[in-house]
Amino acid sequence: MKYDVLVIGGGIAGIEASLTLGDAGFEVLLVEKDPSIGGHMIQLSKVFPTTDCAGCITTPKMAAAASHPKVHLMTYSEVKEVQKTGKEFRVKVLKKPRYVEEDLCIGCGRCEEVCPVLVPREFDYGIVGRKAVYIPFEMAVPKKAVLDLEHCMMCGRCERACPKDAINFLQEPEEVEITVKAIIVATGYNLFPPERKKEYSYTGNLTLIHTNLNPNIIHAMQMERLLAPSRPYHALLRPGDGKVPERVAWVLCTGSRDKSLGNPLCSRVCCMYSVKQALLYTSAIPFGEAAIYYMDIRAFGKGFEEFYTMVRDLGVYFIRGKVARIESRNGNPVVIVEDTETGEIREDEYDMVVLSVGLLSNPELSEILGIDTNSYGFYVPPDENANPVATKVDGIFVAGTATCPKDIPDTVAEAAAAAAQCIAYLKEVGT
Amino acid sequence: MKERNKIGVYVCHCGGNISDYVDVKKVVEAVKDLPNVAVARDFVFMCSEAGQNLIKEDIKNLGLDGVVVASCSPHLHEKTFRNAAKEAGLNPYLVEHVCIREHSSWVHSDNPEAATQKAIWIVKAAIAKVSLARDLESIRLDMKPEAIVVGGGVAGMRCAIDLGRAGITVHLIEKSPFLGGRAAQIGKMYPSGISGIELVKKLVEEVKNNPNIKVYTNAEIVSAEGALGEFKVKVKINPRYVKGNVSDDTISQCPVEVPDEFNYGLTKRKAIYKRDFTYPDTPVIDMNACTKCGKCNPDFNQKPKTVEVTGSIVILATGFKPYEPKEGEFGYKVYDNVITLPVFDRLISISNGKLEYNGKEIRDIAFIYCVGSRNEEHEYCSRYCCVATINAALQALEKFGDLRVYHVYRDIRTYGKYELYYEQAGRDGMLFFKYDPENPPVVERSGNKLIVKVKDLLTYGEEIEIPVDMVVLSVGMEPEMSDVFTMLRVPFSRDGFLQEVHPKLRPVETAIGGVLVAGTCQGPKDTVEATASASAAAAKADTYLVKGYAELEPFIAEINPEKCDGCGECVEECPAGAISIENGKAVLKEALCKGCGACGAVCPTEAINLRGYYYDQLRKSIEAAGGD
Repeated sequence: MKYDVLVIGGGIAGIEASLTLGDAGFEVLLVEKDPSIGGHMIQLSKVFPTTDCAGCITTPKMAAAASHPKVHLMTYSEVKEVQKTGKEFRVKVLKKPRYVEEDLCIGCGRCEEVCPVLVPREFDYGIVGRKAVYIPFEMAVPKKAVLDLEHCMMCGRCERACPKDAINFLQEPEEVEITVKAIIVATGYNLFPPERKKEYSYTGNLTLIHTNLNPNIIHAMQMERLLAPSRPYHALLRPGDGKVPERVAWVLCTGSRDKSLGNPLCSRVCCMYSVKQALLYTSAIPFGEAAIYYMDIRAFGKGFEEFYTMVRDLGVYFIRGKVARIESRNGNPVVIVEDTETGEIREDEYDMVVLSVGLLSNPELSEILGIDTNSYGFYVPPDENANPVATKVDGIFVAGTATCPKDIPDTVAEAAAAAAQCIAYLKEVGT
Repeated sequence: MKERNKIGVYVCHCGGNISDYVDVKKVVEAVKDLPNVAVARDFVFMCSEAGQNLIKEDIKNLGLDGVVVASCSPHLHEKTFRNAAKEAGLNPYLVEHVCIREHSSWVHSDNPEAATQKAIWIVKAAIAKVSLARDLESIRLDMKPEAIVVGGGVAGMRCAIDLGRAGITVHLIEKSPFLGGRAAQIGKMYPSGISGIELVKKLVEEVKNNPNIKVYTNAEIVSAEGALGEFKVKVKINPRYVKGNVSDDTISQCPVEVPDEFNYGLTKRKAIYKRDFTYPDTPVIDMNACTKCGKCNPDFNQKPKTVEVTGSIVILATGFKPYEPKEGEFGYKVYDNVITLPVFDRLISISNGKLEYNGKEIRDIAFIYCVGSRNEEHEYCSRYCCVATINAALQALEKFGDLRVYHVYRDIRTYGKYELYYEQAGRDGMLFFKYDPENPPVVERSGNKLIVKVKDLLTYGEEIEIPVDMVVLSVGMEPEMSDVFTMLRVPFSRDGFLQEVHPKLRPVETAIGGVLVAGTCQGPKDTVEATASASAAAAKADTYLVKGYAELEPFIAEINPEKCDGCGECVEECPAGAISIENGKAVLKEALCKGCGACGAVCPTEAINLRGYYYDQLRKSIEAAGGD
């Protein structure tokens, strides 16, 4: 199969780049490793500083990518090999078995209903469960089921319930070879795993109450889910016992600006998403008390400072200090911190604590692509000031959080920038 | 005309944004049995693929002849639903998208019942409008591959290069005599470590070598008009007053010396001057300084030339200017050694051996942050200054050693990987003091030292006095104003910078079709972000120019000659000059019509309709909305 451009990564950067290239008339193959495109953005609640709902912006772009005549999707697929020969790249893509025939599945969800296996749902970061055969989320593109063989107990109920006979346990991984003229790498980031910051007592297991690891200490993406219109409980409740959280704290720089964890970088978005979450939380729980523990509030983008000032004026507390540790008292998390503006050592008890986790790199394709990363695993454009999306390989471009943590406006701009560089390159090498 | 009677109505929950306040089921109930309605449904996200598929399936299976979607603002998703209808084989202009989110659920969240009632009225009005909708066709506009870029700084050049390489003719217009803009004044840049001059050189080389880019320097924009596909810009090119090749030797013979603006007056230049790192190589004579001595063999008879350039797209890359502190603001203009960051940046670049200013060696420096940012006058954060200040301090330390550096700040915003610069500053022994904006630092003089008095929050409010030789004010960015903004009627945001349509959906487009923004005219950015946004603007332009055409909405005027009595009021009213009277009847030039509707409003005989908003449609929807 031949395309003009391969875009790797179906998050907002990859989608934006694909749509721009498609609109300019180029044939694009968009490869996504997960069963649906949408990336991290589709999991968010509302986005700063405009507080548009993330779904309102992402779903139409996802739908546009799916229906664009020039954009071709390949989900649940991974790039395994890239070889440049002359002006072309030969790429091997592994299509992972869904165990569901994609062209037969109509996304009705009957398989899900009958499946007896319950496992934590990735889309909601384990706050609720999903079945072993499942549609990743309501707005998934493509809206097709996928069967998780690792947890499947092969009872066959889904096979019998499927009205289209789409379940196929015998599917094999399929290697597809394609040829493209250019590649855009939009592989995004990995979330900092909060259990690595031991002092903050985070548990991935939400059923452990009254231990050191407190299920009422959650991470920011879980909070995004709790605040999202499509939220798991249809209400903002703390996971430990379902109580309405009347006092909530955000602990900034969890896993960022922290050399003890090997990540001295600032993650660039946590200040603003925490400020935004505090606003959404106080709107959801009108008498709720929100406090943000911070080192510096980095409200640097267009409209950010104004947003931060507004939230501050609405009565959200801002306490300057790097949280030392989080303990538990009667199932409530207790934040222990030195207020660096007063010198006071505080022990503040909350119903729920949100760890504002940072963004780590996702360098898994660097060797396959032959492009450099810095010591933190982010791709390094060699000529960043003049051309922030070019790499040392002619014809390979990078965009979005693959080069450094960044917010959505910056990501979208970079994705379009990568498309522009790609178009200029394609015009020069001849299409 | 025959009414459409197979209309599908789709009410969106917007994931709770609407359904938390508007009873969407009740809205569906209220309209599903209306005579023109074939089907009415509600769904959690109509804009999602699943939601769009609902509509498409109904169009195919029920043979719908019209669609009403009640959800968010049409600004967001009208196109989404029109495309969906088109894919299912329905004329996209038979889709009416009405807003029950901004217009109902959000504004009436205190009164769900009234919000629901209002939503019902809005939907009924839309059904009435669609019942009389005509089949319209979009207007295809061919695009000549030609663009106009205003501003020859790094953003303008990046954009011109990207377009030029894609085969598009670019007119790059720069008001100063040389390309380069403000980036060239920066010393060693973060993150790549090249100097501003090297960066400009690199881009200038590419501009020079690209045959598709035409550069106009010393060029003022006299007028700018037109619309997507047909912009016209008149450019006055001011003379350089030089003849033939002028050698460096000739330049050195000029007897006049004036402060060199490139170095903020830290050095002097001649009345005839050039900039080696940029384009063009031809020098220019500064007539405000020239004494007309004639030593450089000038040609004072040169006259300004006016040229007209055309382009299908205009990209504004007009940049920023540094905030100029008021007299007395932190001692500025009161004490000699209080300077701004851009001046300090030049001072480091041109100083060798030791750091001297006003004949005095500088051993200790205090930087005061957020000058002209994050206050009542400028609410916004200027984004670049924290990193730029620390970067400049690190360079000074590296170049001159043995400096004591103090940073007096509010929040250090070294975002992303720039945090490493902050860390380095701490390792290098620079000291940081945090001030409260309620209690800003004060600069005073004591003997031959400046004293910065700060109530430091990091030592719990201790009053600290820092004696220094120099105070550097970390000044923010302000938009560089240009007449072209008003000529093209581009809107501004609250912060005074140019306003994009939507920061995430359409980040480089303005409300004026075909006018795009690149770089710092849209808001503070560093060079990495400025060049990225410039390429993004090029990408948007590519979607029209590489493809070669645009599709425009059909909502323009339609004149019924039978009703027209030739009074000519519409001709007077039309701002686009699209209407004329021929043989006693008004005649429309469709290509010029912008669809503003002003003609229809003044027509005494209702001879002029606006397509998509026909009189009968509007009357029927008003009736339907007030029907109960």
